[in-house]
Amino acid sequence: MTDDRYAEAPESILVEATHNAIRDLARRKLAESGGDWTGLVQGAVGASLTRSEVEGVERRLLDSGYRFAWSSTLSLRDRPEIYASADGALDDATFCFRHPAAVVAPADETGREQKGVGDNVVQFAANVIGTALYVRTSDKVLQLMREGVGKDTIAIIDDSGGTLTAPILSQFVAVICAGGTVRSHLGILTREYGIPCLMNAKLSDIRSGDRVELETSALARPVETYQTGEELPARIWKLP
Amino acid sequence: MTQEGKKFSYVQLLETNNLIQYVADESYWLCLTRTVQESKLYPVSAYILLSYLNAFYRYPELLRKIETRMKAEDIADRSRAMGVKLQASQMTWCLPAFYLLGRELLLSYGLLRPQDAVEDIVYVMDFWKRFQLSWQRNNGHLSNAQAGHRAQILPDRTLEVFCADLFHCQPGDKLHEAANAFMASASQYAFLASCESRINLTNSGPYRIDAHHELLVRDFMDMGECSLPWLDGVAAKVPFNNFTVTMSVRDCHFHLIDDWGSFEANPAFTADKLAGVGLYVSDSLSDGYIPYGMGSVTELAETFAALNEALKEATNELWLRMAAWSRDQLLDAGALTYFTTAKELAHVAGVFDVSDWLEIDPRADCFRPLLNDEYGNVALAELVGKLTLPSQQRSPFTMAKFADRPVSMCTPIPYSILSGDDYVPSTGPIQAGGSSLPPKADRYRTTRGTLTLSEYNALAREHVPEICTDPYRFLCETWVKYNGHTPLADRLYQLEQRHSRTLRGRGSNPRGQ
Repeated sequence: MTDDRYAEAPESILVEATHNAIRDLARRKLAESGGDWTGLVQGAVGASLTRSEVEGVERRLLDSGYRFAWSSTLSLRDRPEIYASADGALDDATFCFRHPAAVVAPADETGREQKGVGDNVVQFAANVIGTALYVRTSDKVLQLMREGVGKDTIAIIDDSGGTLTAPILSQFVAVICAGGTVRSHLGILTREYGIPCLMNAKLSDIRSGDRVELETSALARPVETYQTGEELPARIWKLP
Repeated sequence: MTQEGKKFSYVQLLETNNLIQYVADESYWLCLTRTVQESKLYPVSAYILLSYLNAFYRYPELLRKIETRMKAEDIADRSRAMGVKLQASQMTWCLPAFYLLGRELLLSYGLLRPQDAVEDIVYVMDFWKRFQLSWQRNNGHLSNAQAGHRAQILPDRTLEVFCADLFHCQPGDKLHEAANAFMASASQYAFLASCESRINLTNSGPYRIDAHHELLVRDFMDMGECSLPWLDGVAAKVPFNNFTVTMSVRDCHFHLIDDWGSFEANPAFTADKLAGVGLYVSDSLSDGYIPYGMGSVTELAETFAALNEALKEATNELWLRMAAWSRDQLLDAGALTYFTTAKELAHVAGVFDVSDWLEIDPRADCFRPLLNDEYGNVALAELVGKLTLPSQQRSPFTMAKFADRPVSMCTPIPYSILSGDDYVPSTGPIQAGGSSLPPKADRYRTTRGTLTLSEYNALAREHVPEICTDPYRFLCETWVKYNGHTPLADRLYQLEQRHSRTLRGRGSNPRGQ
């Protein structure tokens, strides 16, 4: 390949290392094929990369001691050896988020302690009060499908996807999501169900079983503010 | 590495690069307001990258195959009379973006140069342009974004029927409750059936009804036993594949319908603003939209309620199926969901083939070992959000639209190939691929019953909606404006009114003007 006048390295070291390894492999294949660039582009047998050669790229990364961060629990289930281990059991009842960006405040006159903020998807007439429950794995969802969801459960969900909790989402009284924006899938779905929801939440020290109040009466965060950077935080309190 | 027998001109390259840059800019804007979509169930970013690669290697040949039967612009003309996956996002954004992003990834891997596959690129972008211009012929734009983030697709005659046949509803009544429950369940099921994507959902409009009401058309697609193999069995009780919900919304302005088919409203759309509703089914074998459960308010409420139950059951069964899948199966299903975003083209043309659309090409599959969760997330974020891959950097003087930085998501074709630089014209034929998923059952739910694929393709090849035949096909909105009182206009409108509860047979002057 020719020089690139403007190129800079990718931001991620993993991306840079992976792409450099593929480029090296491509150069080697080209040399071995006597310069058959067309064969490389068209994936001709003998000229193009093979799966086993690409597996070698992964193997070299793992041999260096690197372990990948996982995002799907099913990825971790299938190949635990290539992923960094989870921070304790995913369904650990004592788990709680401790986001550095969580905005906290001491107890107010009613004893409510602010333990975080989030982006309100839809403005409701009143705040929502309920019992927090972390839902982080498909095993937890299966358990809730079998045993039922408590009547005032406020789910705390890691990611903004709408599939993990698909069979039970409609049974929550509210949702706190630690990722995404008000336009993410979970934001869209909670709006459809009429379930109060705070997206992009930053939390500290809220555990399953805690009574919490969500400021769902706050203004909904307009999508445009993700471009302008204007924050419109709705508060999350732990109740006494 | 030859330039002999070039099949394109300078003007074609100029136009192709314009389309590439258009897709690049709009894609950046779309991605700006969403974080990379992570899921605890699906390795989303990883499957997205795999789908991009599959699209790059397969779309050119599959689109050419489709056009041996039917031109892109002809398919788009038909699409306006059905709520199938040929809208935004599927065609308006996914088709060109997936293809171009697969190319960008391969540029970054050093397996492609900007001038390679030029004949494929020119063809794919031209196919997309012809489809889009035809699909949007009633508003004269290329995309929703170009129309100011608005999707005014349908002709007056269709909108007249949709509005006249709406059943009014208000918070607290059975229809209101059932319609909202259906839309929530249908959205949930659609996200799951499309493996944590919004590809099975879209919205179009808004259309003005009066000073206080707007019409939004919502499509829930590939809900039954369709060409997505993971719905075999679990969707057996879903009676149709595509559902179109027409909604009249009170005191709420839909100020944005983007090229992903998502809407934004001011004030925010909430269920209490639903003032009227209708329900239709359609597909490539139906002659337009067919009302479903629209005989009376009671029938419609019961229809929504029954569908709601069927979709909830299907959601639970599908979730249990997916939760037991291996990561490779999750990866394949997700990648194929994205890749098959354009498959309805083949259904309309009657050339759908399982081996074309439900396999990962080995040239894409060889990268599977790279696609762990972390690489998927960071590489996708750099590719579509941060624009930090080397191929995406530009001259330091550049201030990109939206990004204001010297970057662009997609690489243009260099004009130097016209003065002799060498290039590889095409990525060549598709190669026999595979998938780790169970094979697709030979069972396709359509408006003409459950068919085998050969029956489905044969009927599709025979079927020509009357509205797409002479003398109706080119009777556009401008023609209607000046010929509204002619017998031909009456017949045109009566075609649309065949299934209408309130306007049947009225012709082109139902308002009595």
